[in-house]
Amino acid sequence: MFDSSTSRRRQKRSRRRDLGRLVAGTLGVALIGAVLTGCSTSSSDAGVTTLDFFQFKPEAVQDFADIITDFEAENPDIRVVQNAVPDPDTAIRTLLVKNKVPDVLTLNVSGNFAELARACVFADLSDEPSADTVNPAVQGIVQDLGSCDRGSGQEVNALPFANNASGIIYNPDIFAAQGVEVPTTWTELIAAADTFEQAGIAPFYCTMKDAWTAGPAFVNLGGALMPDGFFDDLRAEGSDVEGGAVSFSKDFGPAMDKEVQLFSYCQDDFASRDYNAGNLAFANGESAMYLQGSYAIPAIRANAPDASIGTFPYPVTENADDRIAVSGVDVGLSIGRDTPHEEEAQRFVDYLMSPEVVQAYSESQSTFSPLNDAEPNTDPALAGLEPYFTSGRIIGFIDHQVPASIPLVNMLQTLVITGDVTEFLTDLDDEWSKVAARTTTQREGK
Amino acid sequence: MSSTIQGAEALQTTTTPTPKRRRRLDGGTGGTNWWLTALIAVCSLTVLLPLYFTIVTSLKTPDQLGGTGFELPTEIRWQNFVDAYQLTNFPQALLNTALITVGAVVLTLVTNSLVAYAIARNMHKKFFRGLYFYFLAAIFVPFPIIMLPVVKETALLGLDTPVGLVLLYTVYGLSFNIFIFTAYINSIPIELEEAARMDGASTWGVFWKVVFPLLAPMNATVGILTCVWAWNDFLLPLVILSDPSARTLPLAQFVFQGQFNTNYTVAFASYLMALAPLLVVYVIAQKWVVSGVMRGSTK
Amino acid sequence: MTATAPRPTTDAGPEGPTRASSKKHAPTRRAGQGKTPRAFYWMVVPAVVIFFGLHTIPVVTGMFFSLTNYAGYGTWSFVGLSNYLNLFRDDRVIASYLFTFGFAIVSTIAVNVISLAIALGLNSRIKFRTAFRGIFFIPYVLAILIIGYVFNYLFANSFPTILQSIGLPGANILADPQWAWVGIVITTVWQACAFNVILYLAGLQTIPAELYEAAGIDGASSWRQFRSITFPLIGAYFTINMVLSFKSFLQVFDQIVALTNGGPGTSTESIALVIFRGGFQGGEYGYQMANAVLYLFVIILVSFIQLRFLQRREASF
Repeated sequence: MFDSSTSRRRQKRSRRRDLGRLVAGTLGVALIGAVLTGCSTSSSDAGVTTLDFFQFKPEAVQDFADIITDFEAENPDIRVVQNAVPDPDTAIRTLLVKNKVPDVLTLNVSGNFAELARACVFADLSDEPSADTVNPAVQGIVQDLGSCDRGSGQEVNALPFANNASGIIYNPDIFAAQGVEVPTTWTELIAAADTFEQAGIAPFYCTMKDAWTAGPAFVNLGGALMPDGFFDDLRAEGSDVEGGAVSFSKDFGPAMDKEVQLFSYCQDDFASRDYNAGNLAFANGESAMYLQGSYAIPAIRANAPDASIGTFPYPVTENADDRIAVSGVDVGLSIGRDTPHEEEAQRFVDYLMSPEVVQAYSESQSTFSPLNDAEPNTDPALAGLEPYFTSGRIIGFIDHQVPASIPLVNMLQTLVITGDVTEFLTDLDDEWSKVAARTTTQREGK
Repeated sequence: MSSTIQGAEALQTTTTPTPKRRRRLDGGTGGTNWWLTALIAVCSLTVLLPLYFTIVTSLKTPDQLGGTGFELPTEIRWQNFVDAYQLTNFPQALLNTALITVGAVVLTLVTNSLVAYAIARNMHKKFFRGLYFYFLAAIFVPFPIIMLPVVKETALLGLDTPVGLVLLYTVYGLSFNIFIFTAYINSIPIELEEAARMDGASTWGVFWKVVFPLLAPMNATVGILTCVWAWNDFLLPLVILSDPSARTLPLAQFVFQGQFNTNYTVAFASYLMALAPLLVVYVIAQKWVVSGVMRGSTK
Repeated sequence: MTATAPRPTTDAGPEGPTRASSKKHAPTRRAGQGKTPRAFYWMVVPAVVIFFGLHTIPVVTGMFFSLTNYAGYGTWSFVGLSNYLNLFRDDRVIASYLFTFGFAIVSTIAVNVISLAIALGLNSRIKFRTAFRGIFFIPYVLAILIIGYVFNYLFANSFPTILQSIGLPGANILADPQWAWVGIVITTVWQACAFNVILYLAGLQTIPAELYEAAGIDGASSWRQFRSITFPLIGAYFTINMVLSFKSFLQVFDQIVALTNGGPGTSTESIALVIFRGGFQGGEYGYQMANAVLYLFVIILVSFIQLRFLQRREASF
């Protein structure tokens, strides 16, 4: 294969080429480096504490950057570095594995948060002055999810900074054009959907390419219709769900029937449309209603700033007074346990929880302020849900109670596409049993 | 193998090796095969269309994102690139990515062939033979098994930095690179090394002066593989790097994936900007790379 | 990935394949040293030490955690083999194995056949060969996020429109639980062909033109030439490539996340996806490590069987 004379020639040529490329490459990079250097942040003067601020929400990076600027102006001895993490769920876990829990964190208060809280990775905030300013109903939702319990009672591991609300988004212009009132009972809702359908307008724009968008209907219908204490009882049954007193098959049937009924009014290509397409379509007035929560409103407005948007809670039963709104803490604040800068972190958190800051954020991101005596959010789009929030007629997202190892959203996706309620409920019970069998020793607030 | 290959190789060694010489498939005479050219051209469309799609999308505004996707933008928004530049802190991310990639490529090229050489030349010894299979076995290990332990280890050892990443890329590339380097080295005649040794060269000298230059085609292959891997890799930088200012391009681009929805137009502008250096390197080195990959693979 | 030809002999004699290493038994000894030069040991030992530290120890640690209920953080305790037992009772895991195998088999065959075909095309007398070769390499350098978005869009919007305009039923293949995997195969094959084309091209270039000329003079058709000359001579490439592509398709993860995220429902969940989701986001790290260890053994076993099978076929040429 190797003719020695040609190979020697090739040797010389290739060696020179190799070397040449190496040098060229290194010079190139060095040149780029020289041109672009100067962007790195220098740190630590004496007397200035630097706080590592883990921030999970990409949409809110600018809001927090502004807040930080104001905070640093008032507190010159503290510097806050916002770390806008990619993939927060993985990121927080790897930070935990490395024992590098951030000083201050924002997290979506969900099942994932609950697991971390129960593992006592967050500091106890119950003695914070700002903890007393929080609306008890909202704090109750946070506590229901779980927190560290080391024998001295339940700790407060997160303070709610911004709440969202899940209900039905509707287009007031289309409603007015068809003479439809905001429905207050289930029958009225279905009647409204029928009216729109007959008028050739899609009652709902559904986006089942993104499995999670079947979630809002689940949490509203299921949450409103389930028996009290359902999840506590379910957990107490361990892995024997079939034989137990409560189960999804026994208690969620009517709710899921309603969900399938709602989704039967979706537009034709709903299985292949995703959330982005949905926001765009609703912004352009392609459907009368949209099964999403308040967090979708900024996204809709990004497509059409003057979009006509209103909200109302799910009228789950025939009794208009039964209506509740589902609300979750979109952004919760926590402090890392054993952070070396506890005092500075607390100052930052207290600043964040001050009414002006919370208010400004809620206006910018269309969220609800979780503080007592908060000014109601004046966004007309949120007017339908605002009273429920202010009066505390809210429940938490029940999907936060379902362990993350169960592919709930995928199962919901199958449910609304096939319409098979029985299969969904049996599958869910099945998965729950399996997970309970695997983790009985794990979820006991360690 | 069968003796046909021996014959084939024999034929090839006696005739002048010219990679540029065209191998005729149809055995006939005549000019270019236009039908085949057209067919290949159509196939290459499947490659070019997505690229076109990317470029076109990066110039649009979000409300133009409907339709078939192939329409030209009605109004071009160059601002997308500016936004992308600012949102990803592009210069720093680019620098980080470039340093890590170059570091990984250089370190890999210098070290992996060395190990492969030692193994290839000592396969008759149990120790080296065992090492060969030890390294090879790692090719089959799926990444999830080692992910968390490695994260913890690198943090403990202080390797949760770009330097640590360079080391990891080099080490994780060892398995596969040893596999292909040893195969290639086995085809280099030992006589060259013997001759150098007779001239008094040490083992190290033999490697650097005789063998390493001969490895150029294989180095090209391994180089481009490592380069593309390190440049586009998302997972390792995500879990290993602790300092946000050390973020690479793929990580920085995550900023476009909002909690629920994605800012596609700006995201694509950013992907193009991240892709550009790689494409430039590829275009410049293309001839060398492709022929390097090919020559490297023949061993 | 790369294919390696059978190690050619250093001097093309008719004595059958001998490995260069075995030929140099005598040469190494002759250098006046009765043992391997110490330099060789110095060349490998640092690498071995670092590799052991950064790879082997994590593997062992990961395997260890499969015997616990570690969540990735917090406290944990031993659970022995119960994770493994639970694995076999978990139909989600079993479904993911079936899906991944089906996907890997189809993709491996498709990629290798298509790459070979394109390489054959690029090897013949066509215009602009170098340009085309460059173009076909492009998918390899594209990031998966780009590919994911583009193909998602194509499947959701462009293809249905085009299909409908010529009268065929057009729907988003990725939204159909039965056929979503086909969409993923198409995307994966599209990207994987890039590198494989170059590899097969390299292999084809090792076949001297004289063989084809001789066959052409004897009146053999193109297909006959392919079957009797081309395919046997690149046999070794083919084998190694099949084994390595199968292994890498068994580990499919990025494409699934980019295209369907395991949906619709859980119909396109691959093994790696289940391990990552369940293990990291789901907090069941110990359990999914058991899954990962099982995965490791499956990969090794399957690659071994495949190699044996294909090498036996090779020898029959």
